[in-house]
Amino acid sequence: MTSMPTALETFLLVRPEIVLVAGAIVAFLGGAFAGVRRGWLVALAAIAAALFVAGAQPASGLLAADAAGRGSIVSGSVAIDPFSTYVRFVVLGLGLILALVQAGDIFPAAVSRGAAVWRGGTCEEAGTFLLLLAGLSLVGVSDDLVLLFAGLELVSIPTYVLLALKRTDAHGQEASLKYFFLSLVASALFLYGLVCLYGIGGSTRFDAIAAGLRAGGNGVAMALLPVAIGMAMAGAAFRLAAVPMHFYAPDVYEGTSPGNAAVLSTLPKVAGVVVLLRLVGLAIPGPLGDGTAAPAAAAYTELFWQLAAVLAAVTMTVGNVMALVQTNLRRLLACSSIAHAGYLLTGIAVAAAAASVGTAGGRDAVAADASWLAGLGGATATLFYLATYALATIGIFAALAYLGHRWPEWTSGSGPRPPRQEITSVEDLDGLSGTNPVAAFAIAVFLLSLAGIPPLPGFWGKLTLATSALEVDWNAPITLGSRRAAFVALAMILVLNAAIAAAYYLRIIAAMYFRSTKRGVQADGGLAAGIAMLACLVLVGLVTLQPRGLFRTSAAAGDAVSRTPVVAAADAVPPASLTPVATIR
Amino acid sequence: MQSLSPATLLVLVPLLPLAGAVLTLLLGRLLGSRAHLPAIAGIAAAAAVAVTLLLGTSNQVGSAHGPHAEPVRPVEMITTLWQWASVQDAYVPPEGSAAALPGTAVSGAGGAARAFTIPVALRLDPLTATLLAIITCIGLVVAVYSVGYMHHDPGYPRFFAVFSLFVFSMSMLVAASNFLVVYVFWEAVGACSYLLIGFWFTKPEAARAAKKAFLVNRVGDFGLAIATFLLWMTYGTLDFHDTLSPDGTILPGILGQTRLADAGGIVGGAVGTAICLCLLLAACGKSAQMPLHVWLPDAMEGPTPASALIHAATMVTAGIYLVARSAPLFMACPDALAAVSIVGATTALVAGLIATVQNDLKRVLAYSTISQLGYMFASLGTGTLLGFTAAIFHLVTHAFFKALLFLGAGSVMHSMGGVIDMRRFGGLRRIMPITAATFLVGGLALAGVAPFSGFFSKDEILATLHAKGWPNAHGEHHDAAPASHASLPLPPGEGRGEGAPATRLASLTRSPAAAPPAVLDTPETFRVLFWMSLVTAGLTAFYTFRAVFMTFTGPIRVPEEAGHHAHESPPVMALPLIILAVPSAIAGWWLFSSQWLAHFLTATPSFSAPAVTATAVPHAFHMDLAIQGTLAAAIGIVIAAIGHLGRRSDGPQMERFLGPLQTFFANRCYIDQLYAGLIVRPLEGLALLAALFDRFVIDGLVNGVARLPAALGGVVRRLQTGLLQRYALAGVMGVLAIVFVLAWRLRG
Repeated sequence: MTSMPTALETFLLVRPEIVLVAGAIVAFLGGAFAGVRRGWLVALAAIAAALFVAGAQPASGLLAADAAGRGSIVSGSVAIDPFSTYVRFVVLGLGLILALVQAGDIFPAAVSRGAAVWRGGTCEEAGTFLLLLAGLSLVGVSDDLVLLFAGLELVSIPTYVLLALKRTDAHGQEASLKYFFLSLVASALFLYGLVCLYGIGGSTRFDAIAAGLRAGGNGVAMALLPVAIGMAMAGAAFRLAAVPMHFYAPDVYEGTSPGNAAVLSTLPKVAGVVVLLRLVGLAIPGPLGDGTAAPAAAAYTELFWQLAAVLAAVTMTVGNVMALVQTNLRRLLACSSIAHAGYLLTGIAVAAAAASVGTAGGRDAVAADASWLAGLGGATATLFYLATYALATIGIFAALAYLGHRWPEWTSGSGPRPPRQEITSVEDLDGLSGTNPVAAFAIAVFLLSLAGIPPLPGFWGKLTLATSALEVDWNAPITLGSRRAAFVALAMILVLNAAIAAAYYLRIIAAMYFRSTKRGVQADGGLAAGIAMLACLVLVGLVTLQPRGLFRTSAAAGDAVSRTPVVAAADAVPPASLTPVATIR
Repeated sequence: MQSLSPATLLVLVPLLPLAGAVLTLLLGRLLGSRAHLPAIAGIAAAAAVAVTLLLGTSNQVGSAHGPHAEPVRPVEMITTLWQWASVQDAYVPPEGSAAALPGTAVSGAGGAARAFTIPVALRLDPLTATLLAIITCIGLVVAVYSVGYMHHDPGYPRFFAVFSLFVFSMSMLVAASNFLVVYVFWEAVGACSYLLIGFWFTKPEAARAAKKAFLVNRVGDFGLAIATFLLWMTYGTLDFHDTLSPDGTILPGILGQTRLADAGGIVGGAVGTAICLCLLLAACGKSAQMPLHVWLPDAMEGPTPASALIHAATMVTAGIYLVARSAPLFMACPDALAAVSIVGATTALVAGLIATVQNDLKRVLAYSTISQLGYMFASLGTGTLLGFTAAIFHLVTHAFFKALLFLGAGSVMHSMGGVIDMRRFGGLRRIMPITAATFLVGGLALAGVAPFSGFFSKDEILATLHAKGWPNAHGEHHDAAPASHASLPLPPGEGRGEGAPATRLASLTRSPAAAPPAVLDTPETFRVLFWMSLVTAGLTAFYTFRAVFMTFTGPIRVPEEAGHHAHESPPVMALPLIILAVPSAIAGWWLFSSQWLAHFLTATPSFSAPAVTATAVPHAFHMDLAIQGTLAAAIGIVIAAIGHLGRRSDGPQMERFLGPLQTFFANRCYIDQLYAGLIVRPLEGLALLAALFDRFVIDGLVNGVARLPAALGGVVRRLQTGLLQRYALAGVMGVLAIVFVLAWRLRG
């Protein structure tokens, strides 16, 4: 597949990203000449153009993967396969909605800016946001450690700028500084992990590293493994907001605007998931199907799934118990996003565990499309969950941006009307169903989806995650210390955590629907944020009614990254031996 | 209407009242005092369609007389609206079971798994056609009456919406051809009844009565649910009718022609008896038979038109319908059949006794309804063709005259300003002559005075009980016949009998194995039941005329609630009384002399089972029984006249000579108190215990568990100090710990 690539070919493969960067340049330059408020139009146009270019690109069809799952083009350090295409479309789709949220964002600015309320959508913000998207999309297509790291930094640096650009009061300054320093630490750790991977493979290319792992068994590879996995995981954990790099999330979310919180809670998570899945893919037995795992590859996957599983369990529990005691709305959602990072890590652990036995879900791989949910595998479950989580989370922050401020408690005759206050705590949403019924309904739907209430998308996501965890070593007995026991325990922890999480999600819904207040909420955020909220609501509704489409695209992507080489082996299994134990009707 | 197919017409019968109900619900506020229009239009159209169907079905059955009289063939028509539910391969009939045996062997595919399907199928046969006509016609008359009666009530649109909904549900109940669909509408009519009893829900008594009716009915519904489960387990289908499966085999329905024609098709024995007893429990609940009769008297808290239609004429006969429809099932279980009779006759007698001392006019009628329904059950339980047709015959006549009596009572109540205690008014015949005359007609029919309609239907019931009690006395009418005719459908015109019908019956309702001797189904039992019924006939006449005399004779007295304008009811209320008085007077004579109904019903598939047709006897008028019945009625009327004719109803009553018995009956035999002591109080105690357990043990546990994450959260929050250096330090330390653990694991 890889003929001698030229630089031009490689550049042509990343046309959408180039479009985004060009859009960013237009925004930055145009901001100097046109009005400052037109920036979000540029962003929307650029993202739409990028979507168009990505859709027109050959071999990018999501379902175009052949039977071997390799509908891929590799050129230079860029790989276009169903996985990267999925990531690209998710990024651009979310980017479109997030641009609307950014456009309708609202936040208090420092007095030096002149206005008490600063609305989003300037050209600087739009350009920065476009660069962020371009970086994230590059992370998806990277087939090389250098491009991966460069892409991640292209995500991180615009994020600092966005944080610093928007909210310039003390809270905002604190948040952007914290994020900046901690992100630097994480990047340093991550880079250290990448260096170790380079040491294993002797190359920055993924396939070379994978070959190094499979050929391994030498002392150097084994010695570098713990550092490589631990440090790389730490870098990803920061993007996911997972333990032990989760501390920043509540402080930063609290100190920034709803629009920025929406970006922070979704796009870095996409980056983290992509990085981890690419790293999982390293240890899958090669296309030659020799199946025999070298000691280094075996140790790699073994350590990887164990670490991911432990981090998943700890992260979701920590996030949820922290969220239980929060009263500040954005802090609460930050804790909730930590918990969701734990759920995502569950799927990563399943994918890693499955990679170590050479099948997707530990169960017979051919069952994937025969029944709906069974045999989807951890990578698919993670990607599906990521999309459902992102939709609901962006929807909530969009609603918060749209709602903007509330009136303080005030009776006429007791002096002049005090200034409006930002919506910060759960109490500020009291009685929202009466004052802003559409927003209240939308928030309720998003929260219920996050809580995993059937039949909303979040339920399907949690269900596939739990199912994929239960399918690891499906036919093995559950004995203490076995891998199957570990994953059954992980699935149980996930379900228990979902129950805990329901408590604080429902608290918000109860506030909106069952309490009354004299304080009105003023929908003074941008109309664009309202549109974004409705778009999320519609998408959530679509996935609720017909989740199959999203399942199939994420299955194609998940297969591309984690399953491919075993198809031949799976074909050898006679169909009669399939045991449809867990088919869900 | 001729251009419409019968299937379409059949669907229209329930559909039109439903449309009326929906329209009333939607437009009720808009229509205001004209809210009755959609409901009445819907019911009237449904009545026209139902009568058309009745006549059409009757033509199909053919005439009972004349040279062309031929053996009656079962008539039924099924129209399946849609498949409500379908589960593939739900049931594998066991080898040789009743579910597998008949019919399925057509393709030799015995043992193949069968689908569980719930078709919403409507059926048309003589029984259904008769009941549809009764429901819609009486529904129409009562609806017209309600226009006057409910006038100025704030819930006017609500009343007509629920009323129309009830007509829909009841039509579906008698037209459904599947036990599960029957169950659904069994509940639906119960819900409508609940809504109408509690129509004036601000009145505590009404709310309480509605709750009581609902809860008592739940006991019966429970029986129907269990019966449905058992039927599914036993027969592997819930359809009444045969269905054609996709592969061309006939799946026999429970009451389908295939199974009925087969000698071993119906399961008897313990399972069959259990099914029948569960069905009987269900029927007891809905039809207010002992021991579940306690809800009906209280149900009189609802508006009187609702009492007339639902709690006298139609809904309470759903139990009769269910037992009659399931006649072949009961025929296989003689003891269950006898239980039906025993329950019925006992209820008839007890309710009649209680009715003698009631002073509330509507309650007298309520107990009378319970008593008359008991008659019908007694008749059904004889398990003869005459018994089944007589029960339906009495159902029809009773629907007319009891609706008339209730509407008359409503008319009195309307005029007396809501007072219904008979001791507080009297001599009303001079104030409201139309009501008095029509009430008298209804009373004569209820008392069983010839030639009013109740006389003939009651006479047939007494005759069928007598025939079971003294089989030899009736045997002389028939020539002996060989027992081998059992499996052949016999035309009713050439009935045969034999020396010992009791043993004959046992041989017909055979289970394949040797049937155990019937314990209850003996002539002696039915002799007792016959005497009980005869005494009840006397009681009926007594309490009916006691009510007539107390209300309409004696010096004129009007309670102060009525004010100075006590008057005859308006024409919109008087006209229905007159309309109903006509069939109350003559329907019995006409149906008896022409034998139209009896002949017509014979074509019902359930009644054309060989086991049923074998019991056919020629139509005869038993002069001795007629004299006995009339004598009982006459004695009752005379005693009532001695005690109440022309007297002030608020004076000391004649019944006081009953002494403690009067107190006993006046307190309804203390049955309510018995239930309160035996069932309600212990349950309340149990509920209290459960509540305490729930509050202190379960909640304590749950709250304890719920506090755990919150406490953990408090701990984790301590770590969230907000200091950047600490965060970075904690993160880096965590990563280093991870690296060390990984390295250690790799070594180990």
